[in-house]
Amino acid sequence: MIGGLFIYNHKGEVLISRVYRDDIGRNAVDAFRVNVIHARQQVRSPVTNIARTSFFHVKRSNIWLAAVTKQNVNAAMVFEFLYKMCDVMTAYFGKISEENIKNNFVLIYELLDEILDFGYPQNSETGALKTFITQQGIKSQHQTKEEQSQITSQVTGQIGWRREGIKYRRNELFLDVLESVNLLMSPQGQVLSAHVSGRVVMKSYLSGMPECKFGMNDKIVIEKQGKGTADETGKSELGSGKQSIAIDDCTFHQCVRLSKFDSERSISFIPPDGEFELMRYRTTKDIILPFRVIPLVREVGRTKLEVKVVIKSNFKPSLLAQKIEVRIPTPLNTSGVQVICMKGKAKYKASENAIVWKIKRMAGMKESQISAEIELLPTNDKKKWARPPISMNFEVPFAPSGLKVRYLKVFEPKLNYSDHDVIKWVRYIGRSGIYETRC
Amino acid sequence: MPYLGGEEALRELRRALSNPHVQADPVRYRAAVLRVIRLMAQGADVSGVFPEMVKAGAVPDVVQKKLVSLYVRAQAPRQPQLALLAVNSLRKDCAHPSPAVRGLALRTMCGLRMPGIQEYLQQPLVNGLRDKASYVRRAAVLGCAKMVKLQGDCEVDGALVNELYSLLRDQDPIVVVNCLRALEEILKKEGGVVINKPIAHHLLNRMPDLDQWGQSEVLTFLLRYKPRSEEELFDILNLLDGYLKSSSPSVVMAATKLFLVLAREYPDVQADVLVRVKGPLLSACTSESRELCFTALCHVRQILGSLPGHFSSHYKKFFCSYSEPHYIKCQKMEVLCELVNDENVQQVLEELKGYCTDVSVELAQGAIFAIGNIARTYTEQCVGILTELLGLQQEHITSAVVRAFRDLAWLCPQCTDAVCQALPGCEDTIQDSEGKQALIWLLGTHGEKVPNAPYVLEDFVESVKSETFPAVKMELLTALVRLFLSRPAECQDMLGRLLYYCIEEEMDMAVRDRGLFYYRLLQAGVEEVKRVLCSPKSDPSLGLLGNQTKQPVNAWAWEFNTLIPVYGRERWALATAHQPVEPSCSGPPCTDSRSRDTESLISEGNKEVLKVQPSTGSLSLIPDASLTAEQFEKTWLSLDTSCHLSLPWCGPVPPDTIQTALHVVHIQTIAMSKAGAQPWKAYLSAQDDTGCMFLTELLLQAADSELQVSVKQSEAKPEALQSFISALRTVLEAVAGLGS
Repeated sequence: MIGGLFIYNHKGEVLISRVYRDDIGRNAVDAFRVNVIHARQQVRSPVTNIARTSFFHVKRSNIWLAAVTKQNVNAAMVFEFLYKMCDVMTAYFGKISEENIKNNFVLIYELLDEILDFGYPQNSETGALKTFITQQGIKSQHQTKEEQSQITSQVTGQIGWRREGIKYRRNELFLDVLESVNLLMSPQGQVLSAHVSGRVVMKSYLSGMPECKFGMNDKIVIEKQGKGTADETGKSELGSGKQSIAIDDCTFHQCVRLSKFDSERSISFIPPDGEFELMRYRTTKDIILPFRVIPLVREVGRTKLEVKVVIKSNFKPSLLAQKIEVRIPTPLNTSGVQVICMKGKAKYKASENAIVWKIKRMAGMKESQISAEIELLPTNDKKKWARPPISMNFEVPFAPSGLKVRYLKVFEPKLNYSDHDVIKWVRYIGRSGIYETRC
Repeated sequence: MPYLGGEEALRELRRALSNPHVQADPVRYRAAVLRVIRLMAQGADVSGVFPEMVKAGAVPDVVQKKLVSLYVRAQAPRQPQLALLAVNSLRKDCAHPSPAVRGLALRTMCGLRMPGIQEYLQQPLVNGLRDKASYVRRAAVLGCAKMVKLQGDCEVDGALVNELYSLLRDQDPIVVVNCLRALEEILKKEGGVVINKPIAHHLLNRMPDLDQWGQSEVLTFLLRYKPRSEEELFDILNLLDGYLKSSSPSVVMAATKLFLVLAREYPDVQADVLVRVKGPLLSACTSESRELCFTALCHVRQILGSLPGHFSSHYKKFFCSYSEPHYIKCQKMEVLCELVNDENVQQVLEELKGYCTDVSVELAQGAIFAIGNIARTYTEQCVGILTELLGLQQEHITSAVVRAFRDLAWLCPQCTDAVCQALPGCEDTIQDSEGKQALIWLLGTHGEKVPNAPYVLEDFVESVKSETFPAVKMELLTALVRLFLSRPAECQDMLGRLLYYCIEEEMDMAVRDRGLFYYRLLQAGVEEVKRVLCSPKSDPSLGLLGNQTKQPVNAWAWEFNTLIPVYGRERWALATAHQPVEPSCSGPPCTDSRSRDTESLISEGNKEVLKVQPSTGSLSLIPDASLTAEQFEKTWLSLDTSCHLSLPWCGPVPPDTIQTALHVVHIQTIAMSKAGAQPWKAYLSAQDDTGCMFLTELLLQAADSELQVSVKQSEAKPEALQSFISALRTVLEAVAGLGS
């Protein structure tokens, strides 16, 4: 149970304060500012106890969002709720920034009123909320009969995430497989840890109450189907043996029928209207690492450092990686840097203590190299340079986990459109998460 | 904070709000209302436009209604008379055809914090509970809880409770969960909502319809239910199995807790559950949402406390990444320390070694202490790494390594030789007090193994005048006297100089007293010095104990998924140490809270005994007998203990509560340690009408479960002493009873 919600800017000024329970006093707002935002040292923990009150905070860019309670609550739930709140706000007004919050403060109070009552989380699905939140209020001046009945039907309906009577002239759906690949590699090129966390996001514009079925190249499903059709066993083993992937752990949107997934491993659901996250998964095996970074750092005397970094792209030559950025950290006492690179642009950014090397596009199975000479100021500070890892950012048009969408079928028995009439789009985007190579 | 120029702006707004032309134009009307709200958010006093705002709430526009509702809720406590105006129009809104308006009106009314609102609330709430739109029912159900909270101590309406229980069967999932929440609050005094078999089974069946918040809360409520038979228990576990893999980490955690608690008699089931949540927990630990990751790591540590090998094969998941925040890195290091085993120790140590050179001093030292911890089991490798680190000659690294060495020498005597070899040279780099103390301690205690120990200490003696930390000086004194015992020839001269300095020139009294103490001890002869100073140089049993205590799962199953793993048990105990007995909602301001605490304390304790006490027996204590601390000390030292007793005690001591409680029976507190201090002490005094004084010492040792009480009396009066002790005992027992 949450006693109050506060939003601060980076200076610690209160932008929004909403108190739900009487046990949270006015001084709680200031206590958090003094003890956490204005504290000199680093943040010790996202949960802070001040005078028997627990403050849970998350930061979005330079905005602090804090939930306050005096009860012994469930920390995971409070954080999840804060994330959800951020999602909802983002869905309404985009990025959470001081300006946006100030401009939308009435809307935020309205949202906070709907998603929490007496400190208890209520309906927090963006889609369902849209019917209650009247801000911008163009339609709400004279609420039509139809809309009123919508609220009732939605609120009483069995399916909380979709209202009835949706109609589209063109039935369309978009599937985005968004993955972020995380890597930690040793200087010798040994993978210390790697995992992909992915999301399948679906945008659906479908009429009625469509029943969808989603299939992917999950190992267990393919094996299961292989067994089911005895004739094809041999073929499927040959054909898809390598292409199936092992998912360590996956979770679904509320709309997916879990019982069916457990028994048949089939993912079937009635989707919410508009955009939602169908599933979230994580894989650790057989990850395609799109780039290898090979660092070479040589200390020449006490005032010079030679750095050579080679990056190799490791995917089909026909594909193009985009927005590649390699960040090579430099010591604090750097006085000058000379950079030579074959491709892209490289620049030494003194304020960030790093050489930033940007390449717009790079095809697969290519190699590129940068070499830099770093001149150092002699210092009497004996502190050794900690050598932060080289980090990398990129975007590739495939899924590094190897996940493939095999089908997405749509059935709507009541309305007269069939699976073939639906226009479907699938897109794969692999982005770098924390992609670091130690040097 | 008053908003400058607010008055002018407000006057203008009032004019605008009451202007019929503005009222006729919905857009302009709403803009004016919006400006009032903006002013309010900026901290201006906008109570002046209350009547106009209430009137503005009576338009069909829902947006405007919401804005007015926001205003009314914030302003009602300041002007209860005017708020009644709002109640009237809100009651009208409760019959509005739109469910959104009805719900809003109910919520607004329940949010008016003013006395006497209850009578207006009752009817709309009852109607709301039976409304056909679930949106209204949701608001009404929680509204009941708000109303009961406003009423305070009044009797709870049985009909209302029954109505709420029946609403547990409602069609709408959020109404069901809200009912549970409301009942829990309303029936707080009777121990919360009752989960019997039909309710439990009903909730289990409704689980799939609930959203993540609902699921997580229902799982928590189900903890209360005790299945009748083994069969039923396993049916429930089977039904809930899917939630261990839910997409929401909070549901996973809540389900895990429920499984662990329900299966408390089946250790294999518990172990199986922990294996099954490994995946979800690990993915939460590596998730991008850092705060959630932190929470998960805290729980992983909790599990590791019982099953040390549980995550060993996944140790790489707990390697820190450069960009992670400090708190996650610290947690991960702790986890790494706990999951070390023969197979992964090499890699884990390599990784920790990398962190030792981190830019953040705190993190680097943390990593060094982590290696020091692992050294208790894998001594050789770790001492090697630590020695290597000394070569970097960094101030903070050397200091931390020497401190780790000191602990090691104390816990694992077998590594003393290796440690002693590494020590020479460290003295030049160490600058901080803690590091110096550790180094000096090592040199004093194991001086016979370090060839140049006397010369290093001599350097410290030379520069003792410029030494800023008294603790270092004291450590130096002890170490030098110790070393003098084993290498007298090399130390005699400088010991003399140090003692001379400490006694004649030192300004810090503690150091001077320590110097005098050693001086006199040395005068008593070498044998006496040896007897005092040559205590054992190590205590290996301590180190092993720390490693061996494997907690059973049941010891923490109830704490799982609460704040206790996040804060750690000690900090949680401290944070909740002096929670008032019953937080009251609408009481007098806090100046009175002290005396109120005592009242409730007495009523919960032995009321009769305490009330009768002063009149019975021969004892009546004077209410305002005053005694200064000096007088107390003098009297205390001159008297013998006339009575000694020990009382059972558990948990921390709430000093304020004790103090006020004793004050009620006219026992004064002279001095008292802070809450949580170890050992905890208090000195009390009291005087009866014949002038006889009772001096008391309360002593609570760290690990003791008994409170030691010693009483001294200025005149020997056994009867009076008996009555005094029984009075004291009653009060202390009452406080102890509250604490536990």
